[in-house]
Amino acid sequence: MVNHIIATHVPPIIEARGVRKTYDIGSLPVEVLKGADLTVQSGEWVAVLGSSGSGKSTLMHLMGGLDRPDDNGGEIRFDDRPISVTHGKRLDSYRNRDIGFVFQFYHLLQELNVFENAMLPGMVGNWMTGHGSARAVARESARRLLDSFGLSHRLAHKPSQLSGGERQRVAIARALVNSPRVLLADEPTGNLDTSTGAGILDLLAERHAAGLTVIMVTHDAEVAARADRIVKLVNGRVTDQALTW
Amino acid sequence: MYASLLSNRYLTSRLIPFIAIAAVALCVALVVTVVSVMSGFLDMLKSSGRLIVGDVIISSGIGGMPYTDEFLVDLKGLKDVQGATPLIDTIGLLRMPYPRGDQKEVSHVQVWAVDPISLATVTDYANDLYWRPPADAAASAAMSDEDPRKHLDIDVLNDGKTLVQSRTGAPGITLGMHVSIGNARQKDGSYLPRYGWFMPGNDVTLTVVPVSGQGKIAEPREQIFPVLNEVQTGIYEVDRNRVYIPLPEGQRLLRLDEAPLYDLNAEPGPDGRYPQIGTTPARVTKILVRAKPDVSANQLRAEVELCYAAFAKRINADNSRVASMPDFVNILTWEQQLADLIAPVEKEREMMRVLFSLIYLVCAGLILSIFWSIVVEKTRDIGILRSVGASRFGVMWIFLRYGLIIGILGSGLGVLLAWLIVRNVNAIHEAIGSDAPPVIWIGAFVLTGICALGMIYAIWRGRLLAILLWLLGTTVLGLIATGLALHHGTLIWDPSVYYFTIVPDQVDWGTARWTFLFGVVFSVIGAAIPASKAADIDPVEALRYG
Repeated sequence: MVNHIIATHVPPIIEARGVRKTYDIGSLPVEVLKGADLTVQSGEWVAVLGSSGSGKSTLMHLMGGLDRPDDNGGEIRFDDRPISVTHGKRLDSYRNRDIGFVFQFYHLLQELNVFENAMLPGMVGNWMTGHGSARAVARESARRLLDSFGLSHRLAHKPSQLSGGERQRVAIARALVNSPRVLLADEPTGNLDTSTGAGILDLLAERHAAGLTVIMVTHDAEVAARADRIVKLVNGRVTDQALTW
Repeated sequence: MYASLLSNRYLTSRLIPFIAIAAVALCVALVVTVVSVMSGFLDMLKSSGRLIVGDVIISSGIGGMPYTDEFLVDLKGLKDVQGATPLIDTIGLLRMPYPRGDQKEVSHVQVWAVDPISLATVTDYANDLYWRPPADAAASAAMSDEDPRKHLDIDVLNDGKTLVQSRTGAPGITLGMHVSIGNARQKDGSYLPRYGWFMPGNDVTLTVVPVSGQGKIAEPREQIFPVLNEVQTGIYEVDRNRVYIPLPEGQRLLRLDEAPLYDLNAEPGPDGRYPQIGTTPARVTKILVRAKPDVSANQLRAEVELCYAAFAKRINADNSRVASMPDFVNILTWEQQLADLIAPVEKEREMMRVLFSLIYLVCAGLILSIFWSIVVEKTRDIGILRSVGASRFGVMWIFLRYGLIIGILGSGLGVLLAWLIVRNVNAIHEAIGSDAPPVIWIGAFVLTGICALGMIYAIWRGRLLAILLWLLGTTVLGLIATGLALHHGTLIWDPSVYYFTIVPDQVDWGTARWTFLFGVVFSVIGAAIPASKAADIDPVEALRYG
C-alpha cells in the first residue's frame, strides 16, 4: 500500500510512476520491479530500504538514467522532465550534471589518482561542452571538496593506497563535483565498518543540510534511520513511505 | 580530456601495450626493410643497366649491319643523340694463363668488340676500368708492396681506354672483374690479387667461331691478347662474363670485316682468281645510342626508328651498293633490352610488397586481441564512466585513441628501426659474413651463465614463472653464444645471385610513408572492434562486472 503522506504544491524533483523492470536471467524473465512508485521532493533525504533482491538498486539505476523501464513499464521524471524516454547527449548530460552516483564498492578508476578521480565528471562535462572554463571550475570544486573531506594530503595517491572510508569519501567528492541536484547512493556504507560508515553518513547529512537531495539505497534499517524518510521496497513494490522524524 | 588521460594511463600502467608497440614496430620494420632493399636493388639494376648499354640498342641478326659508319653519321645528326657506338656482341672461349703448367683454365665469355672511344660516350666504360695507375711517382711510392700496380708499367692500365697496347701497338683485351679467379674482394669493396694472378700484363687467348648470315659455322679463330685492365660495372653477371676487344679485331676474327667481292660467273684470271668487282663493307651486330639529358629513352627510340627506316630505304635504293641493309632490326630501349633482367625483379618486389603487407592484418589482429582483453578487464571502468555521463562515443574514443597511439608509436619506431637496418645493412652483412669477435661470444656465454644462476635461484625459491623465464633466457642465450662461437661467416647476399656486390642501403621513403600510414590505420581498425564493444556495454552490467 502506498501512502503519499507528503503533500505539497512544489513539484517533486524526481518521481517514479508505476515502474516495471524485467531482466532475463538465462532464458527466464525475472520481473524485479512490479510497478514501483516513488516521489522525492527537492532537499529530501530518502532511504530506500529493502532486502537483497527487492529491486532497490534497480530502482536507483532507473532513476539515475543508467537503465530504462520496460516498454509501457511506467516512467521516471526528473524536475518534471521524462528521463526514461531520453536518449543520447541529453541522458549523458543528465547523468553528468543533475545526478551524482555513490556505489557500495566505491568504483574508483585505479589508474587515476584521488584528484583525477574526483575531477572525472568535470572532465567528462568539459569534453561534452568543450568549455575550457568548465575544467577550471571542476578542478577548483574537486580541490575544495577533497579538502573539506580531509583528503587534501591524499590528492596524488592512487585508490589502492587508500582505506575504505577514504575511498568512499573520494567517491562522494566525485559525485558532487559537478554540483548535482540529486545524490544517488547505493549502500554507501555497505562495505565499511560501523564507525567509518557513520562518518560517511555524517558527511551525507552535512551535504543534505546544505540543500542536497539524497536518495540512499540500503538494507540496513539503522543506516536508513539517518534519512528524513524511509521507503520500503518489498518484492518490487514500494510498500511504505514514512517519515523518520 | 578524460579520454586522453585514460588512454595515456591505460597505455603506461601495463606491459602489454608496449608489447603491442614492439610488435607493430617489427611488422613495419620488416616491410620497410624488405621493400627498401628490393627497391634499391631494382634502382641499381636500372641505373647500372642504362650505363652499360646506353638508352637505345639497335640489334641486327648474326650477319650484322653494313654501312654503319654512314648510319652513325645520320644518328649523331639527330637532335636528341649524345653519342652512338658500334659493336659486335658474340660468345667465345677464353684461355687463361693459369694454372701453371700445360693445362690452362678455359672460360666461356661474352665478347664485345668495341670502339672504346665512342663506347665511353655512350656507356660508363672508361670509368668502369678498375685498376687506376698511380697519379705520380709520390703516389706510387705510397702504395703498399702488395699492390700489383706498384710494379706495373703505368701505360698498361691506361691502355685499357684504347684497347691498344701503346708499347707495341698490339690490340689488347679488358676483362670483367670476375672473369679471372685472380681478384679477391675485400670488406671495403676493393680488390686485391689472389693466388698471385694479377691479370693486367698477362696474355689470354680468345677463340671465337665466325657464323655466316645464313648460320653456317666456319673454322674457329683464335688470337692472343695482352690483358690491359679489368672492368667493374657493378653488375655481377656482366663482370663475370664480359670481355672487351677492339672492334676491328672482332670484325676480323668473326669475318665481319671488309672483304673483296669476286664475280664467280666470270672466267678466272691467269692467276686462277675471279675478277674482283667490289668490296663488301664491314659489319657490326649492335649500335648503342645515348640520349641527351632530359630526353627519354622511348622518345629517342622513336627517332632512331625513323632514322633507320630512312637510312635503310636510301641504301637499298642505291644500286651501286654491294650490300643491302636488313629490312628489320630490333630497336629497343635499355629497359626493353634488359626486360628479362628487370621484369622478374619488379614482379618479385611487388610480390614481396603484397605478401609482407599481410603483416598489416597481423597488426590489426594483434591489436584487436590485446584490446579485447583490455576492454574485458576494464568493463567496470566503462560502467563508471557511463555513470558519470561519458557518452558511448567518448568511451569508444578512449580505445580508438589508445590504438592510434600504439599505431603511431609502433609504426614510427618501425620506420626508425628499418632506417637503422637499411643504412647499416652492408656492415650487418659483413658482420654476419665474418667470424664473431671473441668478446661477443664470450659475453654471450657470461650472460648465459647469469641466466643459469637466476634459474637456480628461482628453483630454490620455487617460483614457476621465474624458472620458466630464466630457463628460456639460458636456452636462447646459450644457443646464440654457441652459434657465435662456431660461426665462421655466412654469405647471405651472394653477388652471383643478386648481380651486385653490395646490398642496397637506401630507405624507400615512399614505401616507408605508406607503411607507416597503413600501420596506424590497421592499428586503429584493430582497436575499433573492441572499442565498439566497449561502447555497447550496458552500464548497469558493467558496474556489476567483477
